[in-house]
Amino acid sequence: MQYHLKPRRRAAVLGASALALLAATPVTAETLTVAIPTFSEQTMTPWAGSGQRKTYLDLVYDYLVYIDAEGNAEPGLATSWEMENEGQTWTFKLREGVPFSDESCGTVTAEDVKYSLERLIGEDSRAGPASTMRRVIDRAEVIDELTVRVHLKAPDFLLATGYFGEAQQLGIVCKSYIEAQGEGADAAMPVGTGPYTVAESIDGSEITLSLREDVDHWRVSPDFDEITFRAVPEEATRVAMLQAGEADIAPVSFDSIPGLENAGLRIVSAEKTWSPVIRLGGTVQTDPDRFNPDNPWADVRVRQALNYAVDKQTIIDELFHGQGTIANADTPVAAWNSVPPYPYDPEKARELLAEAGYPDGFEMRLKTFTTTPGAELPLMAEAVALYWADVGIDVTIEPGDWPSIRSEWTSGKPLDFAMTHRGFPFANPENGVEAGFSTKSLFASFTSDELETKLAELGAETDPAKRTERLTDIGHYIRDQAGAVFMVLANEPYGVGSRVGDWGIDTSYVYNFDQAELASE
Amino acid sequence: MLKHLAGRLAEALVALVLMSLVIFLLSRVIGDPVALLLSDSATEADRQLLIQQLGLDRPMWQQYFTFLGNALQGDFGQSVTAGREDALELVLSRLPASLSLAGVALAFTLVLGILLGVLAAITRGTLADLAVRMLALLGQSAPSFWLGIMLIYVFAVHLGWLPTSGFGGPAYYVLPALTLGLFTLAAITRLVRASMLEALSSEYVKLARIKGLSEWSVVLRHALGNSLIPVVTFMGTFFATMITGAVVVETVFAWPGIGRLAYESIMARDFPVIQTVVLVITAFFILANLIVDLLYLAIDPRMRAAG
Repeated sequence: MQYHLKPRRRAAVLGASALALLAATPVTAETLTVAIPTFSEQTMTPWAGSGQRKTYLDLVYDYLVYIDAEGNAEPGLATSWEMENEGQTWTFKLREGVPFSDESCGTVTAEDVKYSLERLIGEDSRAGPASTMRRVIDRAEVIDELTVRVHLKAPDFLLATGYFGEAQQLGIVCKSYIEAQGEGADAAMPVGTGPYTVAESIDGSEITLSLREDVDHWRVSPDFDEITFRAVPEEATRVAMLQAGEADIAPVSFDSIPGLENAGLRIVSAEKTWSPVIRLGGTVQTDPDRFNPDNPWADVRVRQALNYAVDKQTIIDELFHGQGTIANADTPVAAWNSVPPYPYDPEKARELLAEAGYPDGFEMRLKTFTTTPGAELPLMAEAVALYWADVGIDVTIEPGDWPSIRSEWTSGKPLDFAMTHRGFPFANPENGVEAGFSTKSLFASFTSDELETKLAELGAETDPAKRTERLTDIGHYIRDQAGAVFMVLANEPYGVGSRVGDWGIDTSYVYNFDQAELASE
Repeated sequence: MLKHLAGRLAEALVALVLMSLVIFLLSRVIGDPVALLLSDSATEADRQLLIQQLGLDRPMWQQYFTFLGNALQGDFGQSVTAGREDALELVLSRLPASLSLAGVALAFTLVLGILLGVLAAITRGTLADLAVRMLALLGQSAPSFWLGIMLIYVFAVHLGWLPTSGFGGPAYYVLPALTLGLFTLAAITRLVRASMLEALSSEYVKLARIKGLSEWSVVLRHALGNSLIPVVTFMGTFFATMITGAVVVETVFAWPGIGRLAYESIMARDFPVIQTVVLVITAFFILANLIVDLLYLAIDPRMRAAG
């Protein structure tokens, strides 16, 4: 195995390409080709970049805990775990004899788990959850070769399925291998316990994984010998690849669904994985620096009116090709299923606006941008602006790009505009609530003293049933306070070619391309 | 001549330093990478830590001079997102893909553009001339992202002759090179046509005809030679157009070159990489123009006399 090679660089490939055949090489029967918009940083350690890299890293590393389609915890590299000390101590028992892909690493031990955790939450970690995990986790302790204990600074009742689960970034690495790589560890070929290893990584272009032959993997028995990921930023190109048979699986936009279905391809959707929403800036009532009382939507009645005024079902049908449900929150949270969404009632909206002192409406700015998923956000902004115009609100749409808008949004100033947003990619709903609605989050756009109390109470509650109750109550409160304009709990569609048999995807945080079956001829 | 060259080199260096300042300031106007690197639930303390780690807490002028000083020693810094990879190494690794694509595109546009330009000039006013002019008009007005997607659908999806996208053997070059080159092809065609028409009506061509030279000899030896000087003048610009046009073409065709790297680094506010990409592109621009100057000396006797 070529573990010690750096990802092969362009120059080498260029030379080889001169010898390549003129025609496109047909994919062999055993290779699954997945076209994705980006490889993100294309680094190979869990801590050296964003969670977007999970598309390929999820097949190389294993996690301590897995989650089934119903959201229940399943044993992963940890076969059992125990919470003690009111959520502040967690002990994980590891699966015995799980070999790393590099022989010199042997099998997974508690030392590897401790090291993986320490690197993920280290100050130089670039992983998304690193900063929040640092606040929660105190230290890890090796009890014996297969037992690791984690001490927390504050209770976390969902640690196993949350930060330590497959939806986050705690992939278990081989300590001795990483240490041997030194500075070059992030770019070196990864060594994990997953079913595949990285055979080749061409910067910005292709990542090829090969099925490990040395193990009968404990979790999956994949059909494909190789999985090739190709970075294809343009959606129209990904659709063309599906149609030309060059890609077997690719995320596509809602607009492409009819065309792909006409061409005989399947659509497989991850359901309710993202939640287009309109956030109303400056409603951070608990922070005088960030609260802007001059915004008309500082008044709860105006925020409610903005929700009532929009016919969300029509937007779902037209823009999302029916692939979504009306949102009752800004994040799909199971505990919030009982929270009723705002119905479409423009008359009620006009009444509320009049009561709040805006019978003739007002002017507002709405910033928008595209993301993946989220190509529909600007169109959604246009549609919403039309509905709002109908109740007298004059909206100016300001298209921008996410980095600029996010910089402005988290600047700590009293904002005077609204923005479209794709919702939070948090597997653990509590993190989503914190990010959007807690004073301590830079990103929050709606907070209140009452909500701060509710969040604190949730944080201190140790009884699981009562926690769910409290979370449900918070959902109702945020809905009634109209903490945002809740739009859609949207699906994430993938185009799937005829070579792929059974394959499904539950969430947008876990990538199971290793479970795609080869279609029978 | 040496003096002339030395002067151009000095100008190039000044241009590079000025460009480094412009790009340093511009990239900081569009925001910083901190907001992007922070998680959604990050706090103010997390932000301060990151700002410090990235060295963004120092005064702007200090950041610039550190950057300039390091850059002069060949150290362009580490990418903030790409696993702390060396920015220059990252840019150089993507360069061959862009250069080879631009080279192929430029070669085919030169050959085809000159042919079409000459054809249009000698058949002026006929149907062939009209067809070439229409093609040139289309080439200069069709947006490359649209053209690229149309070509993919026709040649890769429906006809199945070529791959849709990606980086590989010669077949992979056809569609992106065509997309990248069409604008320049149109420009060269129009340029050659116009200067050919001028040359064909000039005194020296009339003289050549009076002397009884064959029409081929008149067109190819006397008129064309002189008509190509404006093409050479614009070569540097054409090459630069290819490199900058690569941003769109490389995105549509999933081509791993510096155009896409530039786009990705801007989206990620990856200052070291943005600075390096732009400086490398600037250096190429300057180099291309320098080569044009040298070519001038070779093809235009008047320049040699002046130099």
